[in-house]
This record gives sequence, C-alpha cells and structure tokens, in this order.
Amino acid sequence: MKILLIEDDKETSAHIVYALGKEGHEVDLCHDGAEGLERARGGAHGALIVDRMLPGLDGLSLVRALREEGDQTPVLFLTTMSGLDDRVEGLQAGADDYLVKPFAFPELLARVHAVTRRSQRSGDGEPVRLKTGDLEMDLIRRTVQRGGKIIELQAQEFRLLEFLMRNTGRVVTRAMLLEKVWDLHFDPRTNIVETHMSRLRGKVDRGFGAELIHTVRGAGYSLRAD
Amino acid sequence: MRIRFLRTEGFRLSALYAGIFSLSILALGAFVLVITDHALRDQIVQFSSNDIAAVRGAYAHEGVREAREVVEQLMAGPVSSDFYLLQQDGKPIAGNMPAMPMRTGTIDIPRSPATGDHAVLGVGAFLGPGLYIFTGSDTARLHQVQEHILHVMLGLFGAALLLAVAGGALVSRTFLNRTDAMARACRDIMDGDLSLRIPVRGTRDQLDRLAEAINEMLSRIGQLMNNLAQVSNDIAHDLRTPVTHLRHRLERARADCRTPEEHTAALETAIAKADEILGLFAALLRIAQIEGGERRAAFTNVDLGALLEQMREIFDPVAEEAGHSLRLSSAAATIIRGDRQLLTQLFANLIENAVVHTPPGTHITLSVHGVDGQAVAEVADDGPGVPVEEHERLFRRLYRREASRTQPGHGLGLSLALAIAELHNAHIRIAKEGPGMRVQVSFPPARESA
Repeated sequence: MKILLIEDDKETSAHIVYALGKEGHEVDLCHDGAEGLERARGGAHGALIVDRMLPGLDGLSLVRALREEGDQTPVLFLTTMSGLDDRVEGLQAGADDYLVKPFAFPELLARVHAVTRRSQRSGDGEPVRLKTGDLEMDLIRRTVQRGGKIIELQAQEFRLLEFLMRNTGRVVTRAMLLEKVWDLHFDPRTNIVETHMSRLRGKVDRGFGAELIHTVRGAGYSLRAD
Repeated sequence: MRIRFLRTEGFRLSALYAGIFSLSILALGAFVLVITDHALRDQIVQFSSNDIAAVRGAYAHEGVREAREVVEQLMAGPVSSDFYLLQQDGKPIAGNMPAMPMRTGTIDIPRSPATGDHAVLGVGAFLGPGLYIFTGSDTARLHQVQEHILHVMLGLFGAALLLAVAGGALVSRTFLNRTDAMARACRDIMDGDLSLRIPVRGTRDQLDRLAEAINEMLSRIGQLMNNLAQVSNDIAHDLRTPVTHLRHRLERARADCRTPEEHTAALETAIAKADEILGLFAALLRIAQIEGGERRAAFTNVDLGALLEQMREIFDPVAEEAGHSLRLSSAAATIIRGDRQLLTQLFANLIENAVVHTPPGTHITLSVHGVDGQAVAEVADDGPGVPVEEHERLFRRLYRREASRTQPGHGLGLSLALAIAELHNAHIRIAKEGPGMRVQVSFPPARESA
C-alpha cells in the first residue's frame, strides 16, 4: 500500500518510514502541511498519517479540508501525549484513529491496518453476524457459538470478542483494546487486558481443537482461524 | 526628570484642590465687592438724604435764606457730603456745583468738568416750588474701598495658590519617594531575590495597603515556586533512577549477552523500562494538563452508579487474579457533571491502588450514595490500611510508601486522582475510620438545567 506521511519531525518520520517500509509499504514523506494537503489531493494513497503540529497548515485543518472536499482516504492522526483534547478534535475533524507519540512500531502498524480495513468495509452496511472459522457471533441476539456449541459470555467478554472478530486476521494491540473495548484512554497499572483475555480464552478456546486467539509477541493479539 | 512630580497623582489632586479653593476665593471676592458696593452706595444716599432733611427743616421754618446758610454750614462741616447745589428757578443760589436738570431721587452723575472731574452719587429733591436741592458724594471713595477689597482678595488667592502648589509638590515628592522605593524593591525581586519585600511604613494608608497586597502576592508566588522547584527536583530524581537502571541493564547486556536470544531478551527488558519512564512522563503531563483546567468544556452528565458498575466489570478479572474480591454494594443512579474519561481514570486509579497495595483475600467494595445533597463515591478495602498521619502525604506527587516501592507504579496515582477531583470541584479524602483504606470522593450536586 502507498501511504502518505505528513510529519515535520525528522527523527519520527524516519522511524515511521522505516517501520512501514519493512512491512512492504511504500511511504511518501512530506514535512509541510500545505504541501501535504496538495499531495493528499492526488488521491493516490491508501492511507494518510498526519501529525497534529505542522508548518504551513496544521494537521486538524488539513484533515478537515480533505473531508470537506469529499476525500475519504483513511487518516491516522498523530498527537503528543500532552494533548488530552487533541484526539477528540482529531476524530471530530474526520480522522479515523489517533496515535499518541511516542508509540511502538507494532502499535503504528496495527492502527494503520485497522483504519484501512475499516474504510474498505464501510458502505457494505453493518454486519449482523460475525464469523471466524467455526466461531460465530450473532450481533442482534447477542449470542456466540463455536462448532454449534453455545458459549455464555459476560458483557465485557462479549465486547472484547466482538472487537477481535471485527478485526479478524489483524493484530490488535493492548492500547487499541483498552481504548475501543473499555474506553480507557490511559495506561493502567494492572493487567486488565491480559486477565480479560485469559477469561475469554478459557471460554472460547479451551476444550475446542484449534486455538483462535493468538498472542502476537511484542505487539498484542490476533484472532484467526488457520 | 525634575518635574516628574507634576505627573503624580498626589500633585494632580493638590492642583485640583488648589484650583477649586482659588475659584472659591474669587467667587467670595466678587460677592463681597457687590455687597460693599451696595452698602456704600446706600450709605452715601443716606448721608445725602440726612443733609437734605436738615436743609428742608431750615427752609420750612425760616425760608430760603436760612436754607442757604444751612447748606454752607454743611459744606464746611466734618461729616457731610462733598457736593451741594441749592437751585432756585434754574439758578444756583448756594453750593459748589453748576446748575443741573432737576431730577429727584437717587442720581448718578457721570464724571464731567461740572463736578471737577468726579463721578458723583447723590439725591435730588424739591424744597418748594422752583427750589431744588441736590447733595451727593464723590464715588471715588467707594471705588477705593472696592479696590482695597480686591487687593486683599487677590493676595489671598495668590497665597492659597502658592500654598496648594507647594503642598502638592511636597505630598507628591513623598508619594514619589515611596512609589520609587516600591518600584526599586520590585526590580530587585525580579532580579531574583524572591525573599525581598516591599517596604511598609505602618501608617495603614493606601500605599501601605498596596504594599501589603503585593507582599502577600510575593509570598504566594514564592510558595508556588518552592512547590514547583520541589516537584521538578522530585521528577528529576525520580527519572534518574529508572534511566540509570536502564543504562545499567544495557551495559550488562553489552558485556554479557552472547547469543542472539540473550540480546533480544535484554532489548525487550530495556524497551519495557523505557516504556515505564514514558508512562511516568505521560502521567506528569496529564496531571499538569488537568490542573490547567481546560477539560471542563468537555463536561457532560455522568451516572456515577453506572460508571462504577462498569468499573467493577472491567477490573473484576484483575482483582480475581490478585486473589481479591471486587463488588459494588450500592449504586443508585446518581447524575453528576463531569468528564467521563477522566472520572474513569480517577476510579481506575483508586481501584488499582486497592488491588496492588493489599494482600490476597482483601475485599474491595465500591459504592455510591447521597450525603447532604452530595454524591459520595467510595472505594474501600479491608486491607491493612495506611496510618492517618500519612494520609496527606499520599496525595503528594511521586510519594511512595516504603512498603510499596517494590510494587509497580510511579507514585502519581493519587495525585492524578486529586487533580481530577479538583477539576470536578469534588472533594477527595481518606476516611480516618478503618478498617483498611476508604477513599471517598464527594461531588457537588449536578445543576438542574445542565
């Protein structure tokens, strides 16, 4: 995929170019907001990674301008950790997700994949059933079964599994789970994700042949049937 | 700069007072002039009338001849009018004036050669048919008195003006000296000596009150600066430790790691350590931002009961894994105004404290109840608790109890909780009564219209 990175900090951008390049993505790099908007208008990119603070034109205005022109290219917004409100503003401006600097590479990759997948799916309408291998989730009746056997899940477990199934085959990070499943926008001191995942595994994977929930070392988790 | 005092408030006030005072003197002078003019004219008219009465008496008793004699006597007398005219059938028969038109009553005769270049005020009357008398006085005397009064008034005016200007200058100079001293003290303080204070004379006047207010402000600033310095020190110190540890680990890895697996493991611990340091930074920045108070704009109605129920669900597996029980004892729907994400973090910190700092088997209880119109949310445990004298220190930034130094965390959990509570105008306290630790957050009631 061809990704446009608009980021003025040389070191950060070099890291991102390296990380995405290693994953086989082609990265267009741009250090200026106004120039970045021009390049983004070409529509040749699968995703945009936009920093909040940019010379020329700030990231918020850039994303807002693109969306007003009807451009729906997925946008991942980069913010600093002091910017509590930046993420809200970023999402309101039309970004698909945000990432707080400094971040780990797996986090960046997982987020880029998630925003591009999300935009591909939009337009199909919301699915009512999710399916991964022999695991099935009915979003209307709020039921889960695997191999025809009903699995009883508590509310939090259901939310967690739903998010995993919606991202089948993708890596989801700890931070993504905390934010999207539990709306926790900080790093907790306790193993919230791990303990919930352990409970979920006990119900979804234990006693069935193949494991569906996989731990991705140094990155997070991935639900897939292989 | 010698006329700098002209620009001071003291001088301006003095000048204003001097102006008003001088104008009053002028008005008074004008009034006195008018009054004396009237009085003196009345006096002249009175004298003249008296003289005429005397002549009239003489004429009534003994005829024209006697009248002429009385006029001549009066002219020679010590207290009398200056000008006389007794005129019969248009011809003067006595007096020191030429013939004149026979007008009766009070008469002003302008300056003319006939009166010897004097302006005369007097009274004219008929004594009998064709017999006319006029007596009057030179008004120069009147004008002399008036001039005299005018001179006195002008003297007073000048003296008042001089006194006011001199007094104003003196007051201004004193004022200037004091404000200069204050300005100097301010500059010295700006140069770095925050322990200096503005001089106070002890007279309890406006300048003293100003100086005292500035001094109080300086004390407060000094206090805040100390806090800041303390926090910066703590941060620098607290950051040094993990960074030093990180460095040690990397040095050991360089020296000891032989296989690629060992290298990878060493790098992973180093990354984890770096994440810990970044987490500390993030927490500090978050506190600073919350204390900045910008987030109030994002306030919405939040149901505390529902929020705590959600927190229980989220932290239940964590508590269970640590061998604790986590339950919600009462959670009536209680609406407050707040920032949902920050409130989540507040209670997450309190619950995590209870989970991390108590031994297995501890019961953690969440509850919400109304007390005196306030919504009180409580996170309580029946663990060993913390001595009362240590309660206040727990909220300090980077404070960590000796016993918990080995536990994960950076000593910012309660500081962050405090900052979030304060943003919500909520009061956070640790109950003195045991057992265990009971942290209570009291929220003011949500406004009806909000």
